[in-house]
Amino acid sequence: MSHSLHRRGTAESLSHDYILLVTAAAGINAAGSKDKLRRVLDVVWEVGPVNTGSNEVGTILSGVSIEEIKAGFTEIPRVRCVFDSADKMREVIRRLLEMDLGISVTVSGPRLEIEKICAEFGIKPHSVNLSLDIWGKKNELPEEEILEFITMCGHGMISRSLVVDCIEKVKAGRLTPEQAAVRMGSPCVCGFYNPTRAIPMLQKYVPAEKH
Amino acid sequence: MKVNQELCVGCGKCLPFCPQGAIHVENRKAFIDQDACVECGICVRQIECPRKAFYEPPEVNEWPRSVRKVFGDPTEKHQSTGVRGRGTEEVKTNDVTGRVKRGEIGFALEFGRPSIGTKVKEVEVVTIPLVEKGVVLEPCNPLTSLLDETGRVRDDVREEKILSAIVEFAVPFERFEEIAALVYDAAKHCKNTVFSWGLVVRYEEDGTIAAVPVLEKLGIHIPKNAKVNVGLGKPFCNE
Repeated sequence: MSHSLHRRGTAESLSHDYILLVTAAAGINAAGSKDKLRRVLDVVWEVGPVNTGSNEVGTILSGVSIEEIKAGFTEIPRVRCVFDSADKMREVIRRLLEMDLGISVTVSGPRLEIEKICAEFGIKPHSVNLSLDIWGKKNELPEEEILEFITMCGHGMISRSLVVDCIEKVKAGRLTPEQAAVRMGSPCVCGFYNPTRAIPMLQKYVPAEKH
Repeated sequence: MKVNQELCVGCGKCLPFCPQGAIHVENRKAFIDQDACVECGICVRQIECPRKAFYEPPEVNEWPRSVRKVFGDPTEKHQSTGVRGRGTEEVKTNDVTGRVKRGEIGFALEFGRPSIGTKVKEVEVVTIPLVEKGVVLEPCNPLTSLLDETGRVRDDVREEKILSAIVEFAVPFERFEEIAALVYDAAKHCKNTVFSWGLVVRYEEDGTIAAVPVLEKLGIHIPKNAKVNVGLGKPFCNE
Protein backbone atom coordinates (compact mmCIF):
# COMPACT_ATOMS: atom_id res chain seq x y z
CA MET A 1 0.00 0.00 0.00
CA SER A 2 1.00 3.63 -0.25
CA HIS A 3 1.32 4.46 3.43
CA SER A 4 4.17 6.93 2.99
CA LEU A 5 2.16 8.91 0.43
CA HIS A 6 -0.41 11.64 1.04
CA ARG A 7 1.52 13.47 3.76
CA ARG A 8 0.41 17.07 4.19
CA GLY A 9 2.00 20.26 5.43
CA THR A 10 3.82 23.40 4.45
CA ALA A 11 6.71 23.19 2.02
CA GLU A 12 9.08 24.14 4.83
CA SER A 13 7.76 21.41 7.12
CA LEU A 14 7.79 18.75 4.40
CA SER A 15 11.38 19.66 3.56
CA HIS A 16 12.26 17.85 6.82
CA ASP A 17 10.46 14.67 5.88
CA TYR A 18 11.98 12.02 3.61
CA ILE A 19 11.07 8.35 3.85
CA LEU A 20 13.30 5.61 2.57
CA LEU A 21 11.76 2.30 1.50
CA VAL A 22 14.05 -0.53 0.48
CA THR A 23 11.88 -3.42 -0.63
CA ALA A 24 12.64 -6.90 -1.85
CA ALA A 25 10.14 -8.11 -4.46
CA ALA A 26 8.30 -11.37 -3.81
CA GLY A 27 9.09 -13.98 -6.43
CA ILE A 28 11.81 -11.86 -8.04
CA ASN A 29 14.67 -10.92 -5.73
CA ALA A 30 13.31 -11.55 -2.22
CA ALA A 31 14.78 -15.04 -1.84
CA GLY A 32 17.95 -14.85 0.19
CA SER A 33 17.75 -11.07 0.58
CA LYS A 34 17.46 -10.90 4.38
CA ASP A 35 21.17 -10.40 4.91
CA LYS A 36 21.28 -7.72 2.22
CA LEU A 37 18.50 -5.80 3.93
CA ARG A 38 20.22 -6.18 7.31
CA ARG A 39 23.34 -4.61 5.79
CA VAL A 40 21.19 -1.82 4.34
CA LEU A 41 19.72 -1.05 7.75
CA ASP A 42 23.18 -0.99 9.31
CA VAL A 43 24.49 1.38 6.66
CA VAL A 44 21.54 3.80 6.62
CA TRP A 45 21.36 3.77 10.41
CA GLU A 46 24.77 5.47 10.46
CA VAL A 47 23.25 8.41 8.53
CA GLY A 48 20.83 9.11 11.35
CA PRO A 49 17.17 8.34 10.64
CA VAL A 50 14.72 9.94 13.07
CA ASN A 51 12.53 6.85 13.07
CA THR A 52 12.57 3.32 11.76
CA GLY A 53 10.66 0.16 12.49
CA SER A 54 8.70 -2.73 11.12
CA ASN A 55 5.17 -4.04 11.35
CA GLU A 56 6.59 -7.18 12.90
CA VAL A 57 8.29 -5.68 15.97
CA GLY A 58 7.52 -1.95 16.22
CA THR A 59 9.64 1.20 16.10
CA ILE A 60 12.69 2.74 17.73
CA LEU A 61 10.32 5.43 18.97
CA SER A 62 8.56 2.77 21.05
CA GLY A 63 11.85 1.40 22.38
CA VAL A 64 12.62 -1.35 19.86
CA SER A 65 16.29 -1.78 18.94
CA ILE A 66 17.80 -1.98 15.47
CA GLU A 67 18.90 -5.52 16.28
CA GLU A 68 15.31 -6.50 17.08
CA ILE A 69 14.09 -4.96 13.81
CA LYS A 70 16.73 -6.87 11.84
CA ALA A 71 15.95 -10.11 13.66
CA GLY A 72 12.26 -9.67 12.81
CA PHE A 73 12.72 -9.47 9.04
CA THR A 74 10.32 -11.75 7.17
CA GLU A 75 11.01 -13.74 4.00
CA ILE A 76 10.11 -10.58 2.07
CA PRO A 77 12.27 -8.14 4.03
CA ARG A 78 11.86 -4.38 3.97
CA VAL A 79 13.76 -1.42 5.39
CA ARG A 80 11.80 1.72 6.21
CA CYS A 81 13.47 4.82 7.69
CA VAL A 82 12.52 8.49 8.03
CA PHE A 83 15.12 11.23 7.61
CA ASP A 84 14.74 14.88 8.49
CA SER A 85 16.71 16.46 5.64
CA ALA A 86 17.43 16.18 1.94
CA ASP A 87 21.15 16.07 2.76
CA LYS A 88 20.70 12.89 4.80
CA MET A 89 18.67 11.32 2.01
CA ARG A 90 21.36 12.31 -0.48
CA GLU A 91 23.95 10.51 1.68
CA VAL A 92 21.69 7.46 1.94
CA ILE A 93 21.35 7.26 -1.85
CA ARG A 94 25.10 7.62 -2.22
CA ARG A 95 25.67 4.70 0.14
CA LEU A 96 23.01 2.52 -1.48
CA LEU A 97 24.52 3.15 -4.91
CA GLU A 98 27.88 2.09 -3.53
CA MET A 99 26.36 -1.11 -2.10
CA ASP A 100 24.69 -1.95 -5.44
CA LEU A 101 22.47 -4.68 -3.97
CA GLY A 102 19.84 -4.73 -6.70
CA ILE A 103 16.96 -4.20 -4.25
CA SER A 104 14.28 -1.62 -5.10
CA VAL A 105 14.75 1.79 -3.47
CA THR A 106 11.89 4.25 -3.17
CA VAL A 107 11.94 7.70 -1.60
CA SER A 108 8.87 9.59 -0.42
CA GLY A 109 9.08 13.34 -0.02
CA PRO A 110 9.21 16.57 -2.03
CA ARG A 111 9.31 15.23 -5.60
CA LEU A 112 11.45 17.92 -7.21
CA GLU A 113 14.12 17.59 -4.53
CA ILE A 114 14.19 13.79 -4.92
CA GLU A 115 14.52 14.15 -8.69
CA LYS A 116 17.35 16.63 -8.12
CA ILE A 117 19.19 14.14 -5.89
CA CYS A 118 18.76 11.43 -8.55
CA ALA A 119 20.16 13.78 -11.21
CA GLU A 120 23.18 14.57 -9.04
CA PHE A 121 24.06 10.87 -9.03
CA GLY A 122 23.20 10.35 -12.69
CA ILE A 123 20.20 8.18 -11.83
CA LYS A 124 17.11 8.10 -14.03
CA PRO A 125 14.22 7.42 -11.65
CA HIS A 126 11.96 4.58 -12.80
CA SER A 127 8.44 5.50 -11.72
CA VAL A 128 6.53 7.82 -9.46
CA ASN A 129 3.51 7.61 -7.20
CA LEU A 130 1.77 10.99 -7.26
CA SER A 131 -0.56 12.05 -4.49
CA LEU A 132 -3.68 13.76 -5.81
CA ASP A 133 -5.19 14.90 -2.52
CA ILE A 134 -8.37 13.86 -0.72
CA TRP A 135 -11.81 13.47 -2.33
CA GLY A 136 -15.37 12.75 -1.21
CA LYS A 137 -16.95 13.78 2.09
CA LYS A 138 -14.22 16.18 3.07
CA ASN A 139 -16.32 18.06 5.59
CA GLU A 140 -15.84 15.13 7.99
CA LEU A 141 -12.09 15.56 7.96
CA PRO A 142 -10.27 17.11 10.89
CA GLU A 143 -8.75 20.56 10.53
CA GLU A 144 -5.70 20.86 8.30
CA GLU A 145 -3.34 21.34 11.25
CA ILE A 146 -4.54 17.99 12.68
CA LEU A 147 -4.31 16.28 9.28
CA GLU A 148 -0.67 17.31 9.04
CA PHE A 149 0.07 15.09 12.04
CA ILE A 150 -2.19 12.13 11.30
CA THR A 151 -1.10 11.78 7.67
CA MET A 152 2.39 10.96 8.93
CA CYS A 153 0.96 7.50 9.64
CA GLY A 154 -0.53 6.23 6.39
CA HIS A 155 -1.84 3.13 8.12
CA GLY A 156 -4.21 5.43 10.01
CA MET A 157 -2.98 4.43 13.45
CA ILE A 158 -2.67 7.97 14.84
CA SER A 159 -6.12 9.18 15.80
CA ARG A 160 -7.34 12.75 15.56
CA SER A 161 -8.30 12.58 19.24
CA LEU A 162 -4.74 11.65 20.22
CA VAL A 163 -3.38 14.59 18.24
CA VAL A 164 -5.90 16.93 19.88
CA ASP A 165 -5.10 15.46 23.30
CA CYS A 166 -1.36 16.00 22.77
CA ILE A 167 -1.91 19.57 21.59
CA GLU A 168 -4.10 20.30 24.61
CA LYS A 169 -1.46 18.90 26.95
CA VAL A 170 1.21 21.09 25.32
CA LYS A 171 -1.06 24.12 25.64
CA ALA A 172 -1.58 23.31 29.31
CA GLY A 173 2.14 22.88 29.89
CA ARG A 174 1.65 19.22 30.87
CA LEU A 175 3.81 17.94 28.00
CA THR A 176 6.73 19.51 26.18
CA PRO A 177 6.56 19.45 22.38
CA GLU A 178 9.26 16.77 22.46
CA GLN A 179 7.25 14.58 24.85
CA ALA A 180 4.05 15.14 22.89
CA ALA A 181 5.79 14.25 19.62
CA VAL A 182 6.85 10.88 21.03
CA ARG A 183 3.47 10.14 22.62
CA MET A 184 1.62 10.98 19.43
CA GLY A 185 3.83 8.67 17.38
CA SER A 186 3.58 5.67 19.69
CA PRO A 187 0.71 3.98 17.77
CA CYS A 188 2.64 4.03 14.47
CA VAL A 189 4.03 0.50 14.12
CA CYS A 190 5.93 0.75 10.84
CA GLY A 191 8.20 3.69 11.71
CA PHE A 192 7.02 6.23 9.13
CA TYR A 193 5.98 8.83 11.69
CA ASN A 194 8.49 11.69 11.89
CA PRO A 195 8.89 12.96 15.48
CA THR A 196 11.52 15.54 14.51
CA ARG A 197 9.09 17.18 12.11
CA ALA A 198 6.30 17.04 14.70
CA ILE A 199 8.24 19.00 17.34
CA PRO A 200 8.19 22.42 15.61
CA MET A 201 4.58 21.75 14.59
CA LEU A 202 3.79 21.44 18.31
CA GLN A 203 5.93 24.34 19.50
CA LYS A 204 3.37 26.92 18.44
CA TYR A 205 1.05 25.57 21.13
CA VAL A 206 3.49 26.17 23.98
CA PRO A 207 2.01 28.78 26.35
CA ALA A 208 3.60 32.21 25.95
CA GLU A 209 5.12 32.24 29.46
CA LYS A 210 7.10 29.05 28.66
CA HIS A 211 8.87 30.59 25.70
CA MET B 1 -11.64 -5.80 20.27
CA LYS B 2 -13.19 -5.94 23.70
CA VAL B 3 -12.54 -4.73 27.23
CA ASN B 4 -12.20 -7.11 30.15
CA GLN B 5 -14.66 -5.45 32.50
CA GLU B 6 -13.13 -7.06 35.55
CA LEU B 7 -9.77 -5.48 34.81
CA CYS B 8 -10.94 -2.06 33.60
CA VAL B 9 -10.84 0.72 36.20
CA GLY B 10 -12.48 3.31 33.95
CA CYS B 11 -9.51 5.68 33.99
CA GLY B 12 -10.15 6.75 30.36
CA LYS B 13 -6.47 6.81 29.39
CA CYS B 14 -7.35 4.70 26.35
CA LEU B 15 -9.90 7.16 24.97
CA PRO B 16 -7.65 9.34 22.78
CA PHE B 17 -5.95 6.41 21.07
CA CYS B 18 -8.83 4.81 19.12
CA PRO B 19 -8.63 5.95 15.46
CA GLN B 20 -12.40 5.55 15.11
CA GLY B 21 -13.44 7.02 18.47
CA ALA B 22 -15.11 3.71 19.26
CA ILE B 23 -14.25 3.62 22.98
CA HIS B 24 -16.38 5.26 25.64
CA VAL B 25 -16.49 5.12 29.42
CA GLU B 26 -19.74 4.52 31.24
CA ASN B 27 -20.16 3.93 34.97
CA ARG B 28 -16.37 3.79 35.34
CA LYS B 29 -15.95 1.07 32.74
CA ALA B 30 -14.64 1.34 29.16
CA PHE B 31 -16.70 -0.14 26.35
CA ILE B 32 -16.04 -0.54 22.62
CA ASP B 33 -18.78 0.14 20.09
CA GLN B 34 -18.56 -3.05 18.05
CA ASP B 35 -20.09 -1.44 14.96
CA ALA B 36 -17.52 1.36 14.93
CA CYS B 37 -14.49 -0.79 15.84
CA VAL B 38 -12.27 -1.60 12.84
CA GLU B 39 -10.14 -4.16 14.75
CA CYS B 40 -6.94 -2.19 14.16
CA GLY B 41 -5.52 -3.41 17.47
CA ILE B 42 -4.26 -0.04 18.73
CA CYS B 43 -6.12 -0.49 22.03
CA VAL B 44 -4.37 -3.81 22.65
CA ARG B 45 -0.94 -2.53 21.63
CA GLN B 46 -1.15 1.02 23.03
CA ILE B 47 0.83 1.40 26.17
CA GLU B 48 -1.36 3.56 28.36
CA CYS B 49 -3.88 1.02 29.71
CA PRO B 50 -2.59 0.47 33.27
CA ARG B 51 -4.51 -2.82 33.57
CA LYS B 52 -3.97 -4.24 30.07
CA ALA B 53 -7.74 -4.67 29.93
CA PHE B 54 -8.13 -4.78 26.15
CA TYR B 55 -8.11 -8.10 24.36
CA GLU B 56 -8.88 -9.71 21.03
CA PRO B 57 -11.82 -12.12 21.24
CA PRO B 58 -11.88 -15.16 18.91
CA GLU B 59 -14.72 -13.76 16.76
CA VAL B 60 -12.36 -11.07 15.42
CA ASN B 61 -10.79 -13.78 13.27
CA GLU B 62 -14.08 -15.24 12.08
CA TRP B 63 -15.60 -14.35 8.72
CA PRO B 64 -16.84 -11.73 7.91
CA ARG B 65 -15.59 -9.80 10.97
CA SER B 66 -12.03 -10.83 10.06
CA VAL B 67 -12.23 -8.47 7.07
CA ARG B 68 -12.00 -5.56 9.51
CA LYS B 69 -8.67 -6.75 10.82
CA VAL B 70 -7.30 -7.37 7.33
CA PHE B 71 -8.01 -3.78 6.36
CA GLY B 72 -7.17 -2.22 9.70
CA ASP B 73 -4.31 -3.90 11.51
CA PRO B 74 -0.91 -3.43 9.82
CA THR B 75 0.55 -6.21 11.95
CA GLU B 76 -2.01 -8.69 10.58
CA LYS B 77 -0.88 -11.32 8.09
CA HIS B 78 -4.21 -11.38 6.24
CA GLN B 79 -4.94 -15.07 5.80
CA SER B 80 -8.64 -14.39 5.30
CA THR B 81 -8.16 -12.80 1.88
CA GLY B 82 -5.03 -14.70 0.94
CA VAL B 83 -3.20 -11.44 0.16
CA ARG B 84 -0.84 -9.54 2.45
CA GLY B 85 -1.42 -5.82 3.09
CA ARG B 86 -4.21 -3.44 2.12
CA GLY B 87 -2.73 -3.14 -1.38
CA THR B 88 0.18 -4.35 -3.47
CA GLU B 89 3.77 -3.13 -3.46
CA GLU B 90 2.67 -0.81 -6.33
CA VAL B 91 5.51 1.65 -7.07
CA LYS B 92 7.86 0.31 -4.38
CA THR B 93 9.09 -2.57 -6.51
CA ASN B 94 7.86 -1.40 -9.91
CA ASP B 95 11.42 -1.26 -11.26
CA VAL B 96 11.58 -5.06 -11.06
CA THR B 97 7.93 -6.17 -11.21
CA GLY B 98 6.83 -3.93 -14.07
CA ARG B 99 3.39 -3.80 -12.48
CA VAL B 100 2.79 -0.44 -14.18
CA LYS B 101 4.57 -0.34 -17.52
CA ARG B 102 5.43 2.53 -19.82
CA GLY B 103 2.27 3.45 -21.71
CA GLU B 104 0.11 2.58 -18.69
CA ILE B 105 -1.05 4.47 -15.64
CA GLY B 106 -1.88 2.97 -12.26
CA PHE B 107 -4.62 4.23 -9.97
CA ALA B 108 -4.83 3.73 -6.19
CA LEU B 109 -7.98 5.11 -4.59
CA GLU B 110 -7.80 4.52 -0.85
CA PHE B 111 -11.28 4.74 0.64
CA GLY B 112 -11.56 5.74 4.29
CA ARG B 113 -8.15 7.43 4.35
CA PRO B 114 -7.34 9.64 6.11
CA SER B 115 -8.97 9.28 9.48
CA ILE B 116 -12.60 8.61 8.50
CA GLY B 117 -12.81 4.85 7.90
CA THR B 118 -15.45 3.34 5.64
CA LYS B 119 -17.90 0.54 5.17
CA VAL B 120 -16.65 -1.81 2.47
CA LYS B 121 -19.68 -1.07 0.27
CA GLU B 122 -18.66 2.58 -0.20
CA VAL B 123 -16.06 1.59 -2.80
CA GLU B 124 -18.89 0.77 -5.21
CA VAL B 125 -19.20 4.44 -6.20
CA VAL B 126 -16.14 3.79 -8.30
CA THR B 127 -15.74 0.01 -8.68
CA ILE B 128 -19.09 -0.50 -10.47
CA PRO B 129 -18.54 2.31 -13.06
CA LEU B 130 -14.97 1.11 -13.59
CA VAL B 131 -16.04 -2.47 -14.28
CA GLU B 132 -18.78 -1.18 -16.61
CA LYS B 133 -16.00 0.57 -18.55
CA GLY B 134 -14.09 -2.70 -18.82
CA VAL B 135 -11.39 -1.81 -16.31
CA VAL B 136 -9.79 -4.85 -14.67
CA LEU B 137 -9.13 -4.35 -10.96
CA GLU B 138 -5.79 -5.51 -9.55
CA PRO B 139 -6.18 -9.22 -8.70
CA CYS B 140 -3.45 -9.14 -6.04
CA ASN B 141 -5.21 -6.42 -4.06
CA PRO B 142 -7.26 -7.89 -1.16
CA LEU B 143 -10.26 -5.66 -1.91
CA THR B 144 -10.72 -7.18 -5.36
CA SER B 145 -11.49 -10.58 -3.84
CA LEU B 146 -14.47 -9.00 -2.03
CA LEU B 147 -16.14 -7.86 -5.26
CA ASP B 148 -18.29 -9.76 -7.74
CA GLU B 149 -17.84 -9.59 -11.51
CA THR B 150 -19.89 -6.36 -11.70
CA GLY B 151 -17.73 -4.55 -9.16
CA ARG B 152 -20.37 -4.87 -6.44
CA VAL B 153 -19.24 -5.73 -2.91
CA ARG B 154 -20.30 -9.20 -1.77
CA ASP B 155 -23.35 -9.31 0.52
CA ASP B 156 -21.52 -10.96 3.41
CA VAL B 157 -18.95 -8.16 3.82
CA ARG B 158 -20.56 -4.99 2.49
CA GLU B 159 -21.58 -3.63 5.91
CA GLU B 160 -18.23 -4.30 7.56
CA LYS B 161 -16.52 -1.14 8.86
CA ILE B 162 -12.85 -0.93 7.93
CA LEU B 163 -10.08 1.61 8.32
CA SER B 164 -9.31 1.80 4.60
CA ALA B 165 -9.29 -0.20 1.37
CA ILE B 166 -7.57 0.55 -1.91
CA VAL B 167 -9.24 0.33 -5.31
CA GLU B 168 -6.22 -0.46 -7.46
CA PHE B 169 -5.93 -0.86 -11.23
CA ALA B 170 -3.93 0.15 -14.28
CA VAL B 171 -5.20 1.33 -17.66
CA PRO B 172 -3.51 2.19 -20.96
CA PHE B 173 -2.30 5.78 -20.86
CA GLU B 174 -4.61 6.74 -23.73
CA ARG B 175 -7.54 6.03 -21.38
CA PHE B 176 -6.11 8.18 -18.58
CA GLU B 177 -8.22 11.26 -19.21
CA GLU B 178 -11.44 9.21 -19.54
CA ILE B 179 -10.82 7.23 -16.34
CA ALA B 180 -9.58 10.25 -14.37
CA ALA B 181 -12.82 12.01 -15.30
CA LEU B 182 -14.77 8.94 -14.12
CA VAL B 183 -13.00 9.06 -10.74
CA TYR B 184 -13.56 12.82 -10.55
CA ASP B 185 -17.28 12.22 -11.10
CA ALA B 186 -17.40 9.31 -8.64
CA ALA B 187 -16.00 11.60 -5.94
CA LYS B 188 -19.18 13.66 -6.14
CA HIS B 189 -21.19 10.54 -5.25
CA CYS B 190 -18.89 9.58 -2.39
CA LYS B 191 -21.23 10.83 0.36
CA ASN B 192 -20.24 8.73 3.36
CA THR B 193 -16.46 8.73 3.39
CA VAL B 194 -13.35 10.15 1.72
CA PHE B 195 -10.67 8.66 -0.47
CA SER B 196 -7.03 9.55 -1.04
CA TRP B 197 -6.11 9.39 -4.70
CA GLY B 198 -2.73 8.17 -5.88
CA LEU B 199 -1.35 7.61 -9.38
CA VAL B 200 1.57 5.43 -10.44
CA VAL B 201 3.30 6.19 -13.71
CA ARG B 202 6.68 5.59 -15.29
CA TYR B 203 9.00 8.49 -15.95
CA GLU B 204 9.50 9.26 -19.61
CA GLU B 205 12.99 8.85 -21.08
CA ASP B 206 13.54 12.61 -20.75
CA GLY B 207 12.60 12.55 -17.06
CA THR B 208 9.18 14.14 -17.47
CA ILE B 209 5.88 12.72 -16.19
CA ALA B 210 3.28 12.36 -18.92
CA ALA B 211 0.39 12.47 -16.46
CA VAL B 212 1.15 16.00 -15.26
CA PRO B 213 -0.19 17.98 -18.27
CA VAL B 214 -3.33 15.81 -18.37
CA LEU B 215 -4.00 16.49 -14.69
CA GLU B 216 -3.42 20.20 -15.24
CA LYS B 217 -5.90 20.12 -18.13
CA LEU B 218 -8.48 18.44 -15.87
CA GLY B 219 -7.84 21.04 -13.16
CA ILE B 220 -6.65 18.41 -10.69
CA HIS B 221 -4.15 19.80 -8.17
CA ILE B 222 -0.86 17.90 -7.84
CA PRO B 223 0.68 18.24 -4.36
CA LYS B 224 4.47 18.59 -4.18
CA ASN B 225 5.02 15.35 -2.28
CA ALA B 226 5.37 12.06 -4.14
CA LYS B 227 6.97 8.65 -3.88
CA VAL B 228 9.77 8.06 -6.35
CA ASN B 229 11.11 4.63 -7.30
CA VAL B 230 14.74 5.51 -7.83
CA GLY B 231 15.33 2.55 -10.14
CA LEU B 232 18.07 0.57 -8.40
CA GLY B 233 16.31 -2.81 -8.42
CA LYS B 234 17.56 -5.80 -10.42
CA PRO B 235 16.72 -7.45 -12.74
CA PHE B 236 15.65 -4.02 -14.01
CA CYS B 237 12.30 -3.94 -15.81
CA ASN B 238 12.41 -1.38 -18.58
CA GLU B 239 8.98 -2.14 -19.98
